[in-house]
Amino acid sequence: MEQLINDLKLQIKEALNLEELSLEEFDENAPLFGDEGIGLDSIDVLEIIVLLEKNYGIRLANPKDGRAIFQSVKTIAEYVQANRKK
Amino acid sequence: MIHVVATNITSPLGFTTEENYQAILSGRTALHRYEGLWGLPEPFAASLFSEEQRAMLAIEGYTFFEALAIRSIRTALTYTSLGNSLSRIVLILSTTKGNIEALGEELYYPSKAAQRIAEAIGLTTKPIVVCNACVSGLSAQLLADRLLSANLYDYAIVVGAEVQSKFIVSGFQALKAVSEEPCRPFDIERNGLNLGEAAATIVFARTSDKESWQLTHGAVRNDAYHIVSPSPQGDGLTNAINAVMEGRDKSLLATVCVHGTATLYNDQMESKAIERANLSDIPLSALKGYYGHTMGAAGVLETILTMIATDDGIILPSKGFTEPGVSGKVSISSEPRKTSKRAFLKLMSGFGGCNVAAIYEKTTDNELQTTNKTTLVKAHTIRISSEEGLTLTDIYKQQIGNYPKFYKMDLLTRLAFVATELLLKDGQWSMVNGQLPVIFFNHSSSVVADRMYFDTIRDAENYFPSPSVFVYTLPNITTGEVAIRHHLCGETSFYILPDKDEALMKQILEASIARTGTPTAISGWVDAESETCFECELSVYNII
Repeated sequence: MEQLINDLKLQIKEALNLEELSLEEFDENAPLFGDEGIGLDSIDVLEIIVLLEKNYGIRLANPKDGRAIFQSVKTIAEYVQANRKK
Repeated sequence: MIHVVATNITSPLGFTTEENYQAILSGRTALHRYEGLWGLPEPFAASLFSEEQRAMLAIEGYTFFEALAIRSIRTALTYTSLGNSLSRIVLILSTTKGNIEALGEELYYPSKAAQRIAEAIGLTTKPIVVCNACVSGLSAQLLADRLLSANLYDYAIVVGAEVQSKFIVSGFQALKAVSEEPCRPFDIERNGLNLGEAAATIVFARTSDKESWQLTHGAVRNDAYHIVSPSPQGDGLTNAINAVMEGRDKSLLATVCVHGTATLYNDQMESKAIERANLSDIPLSALKGYYGHTMGAAGVLETILTMIATDDGIILPSKGFTEPGVSGKVSISSEPRKTSKRAFLKLMSGFGGCNVAAIYEKTTDNELQTTNKTTLVKAHTIRISSEEGLTLTDIYKQQIGNYPKFYKMDLLTRLAFVATELLLKDGQWSMVNGQLPVIFFNHSSSVVADRMYFDTIRDAENYFPSPSVFVYTLPNITTGEVAIRHHLCGETSFYILPDKDEALMKQILEASIARTGTPTAISGWVDAESETCFECELSVYNII
């Protein structure tokens, strides 16, 4: 699980061009959206959906289903663990 | 105030305005469901020309996009005579992706297509391409008004055209904006837009000696909220509507022809703006259920249909609508309604946060109105080019910083962003009520982002269309990012020219400022051909 969390942090940082966020600062429990946490927006969600399909073979057709999954890197990792095809 | 002298719509529903009007009156739609087309893995509904229609419209030596525009203009011109003063006629081409299928070739460049179209119809003046995302078709008509009212030309041929492709459809699918079924504007069950192809032409004249439709007033306002998502309360659209309705009697309006893309966010936002602008009781018409979103053509096509219908005493039914699914109070119907009024309001909103409202009136008032000559001077200029050897990231790190979104932008947007930061650094310019217009020009459109996006869809084995790259395949996103950063809620416009013609740029800018009435503007050239070939020269202009 820890490895998966670290992989996801790296993949998200790269795919979303989070240049100024260091991996050390990237807390897997921090909320991804809103001013409190990482501060991602609606296009970032769509890009994470692409990333999950590309790297883990997970297809998420409706971004609305993603609300619970995309709370934090931790919740994404749990979802990937349970649903990954590759 | 300019006069409509001829129109044409060339769409899958017909090749003349009349054929199109009759088709939608009889309830036809051009929308069909496609599965597996262009190798796209997900199905979609769209309004596309049939193979037979494509063959009928094709012109040897021209791309289908160019042929479509040429056919539409030629048909419109059969209804009018423009006289012999070719130097007094300008072609304004409204398109978002033009010849995108020719990416990698000279034909890709939108001004190249515009020049070829202009030559084919015998014009000698330099064409102007309006590339303002979904609002382009209205922006192009506003530009026509500005250029004619400044007495720079006698006629403007405004043609909006769009041809669909894997590039565009995959991008909107990546944004999860496309419906598999014919779209349902303002409906509770709406689940996305459909894309469509069409060309539509309006020939405008500076003067007219008979009763005619006139574009009486238009306004562009930016949300300064997000580059893709509209402001939830419809701030920019409300401001645009209020700007054109100020001092006007709303009871004269037959209808408000909305943008109505049938995405959750657009229609909801529009309903809020209409309610906030106190237009809840004016009948709406939403026309995307017939043609889908024809992008660069949409603003022209929907304006023409609304004129013809209003002439006929009809408010067009909103196909696809059954049950209201927006929270703002609006009056919308899937049945035709009657009207005896002679004016309407047209709305469009699009990526980059831009919103346009325009009022059209049928009138015999032919008093020639020429705008006062506005003269602008450069108060401050910033130049950045690839020849200086610094990368934009270097400049950002050394002189700007603290705006992590910089790293998400494509090259063109970074260029515009960095230059604007340096331009407005001392803070004395951006204080004009947030209404400072941002008007950019270039030659290469969004070629760098287009190449990057194409790389994500090129290979069927490795097909992962990137939504965040696709967004930047609209060059006017540059104006949106600048508007967001500096809270600029005034006009944002993006024009593409054959070359960096400073005299023409200044004419367009001065004619625009004569209309917006703002004392200051940010404008200039923002062009990026590649990581090693870019040029930006932006200025703050003041009226003298």
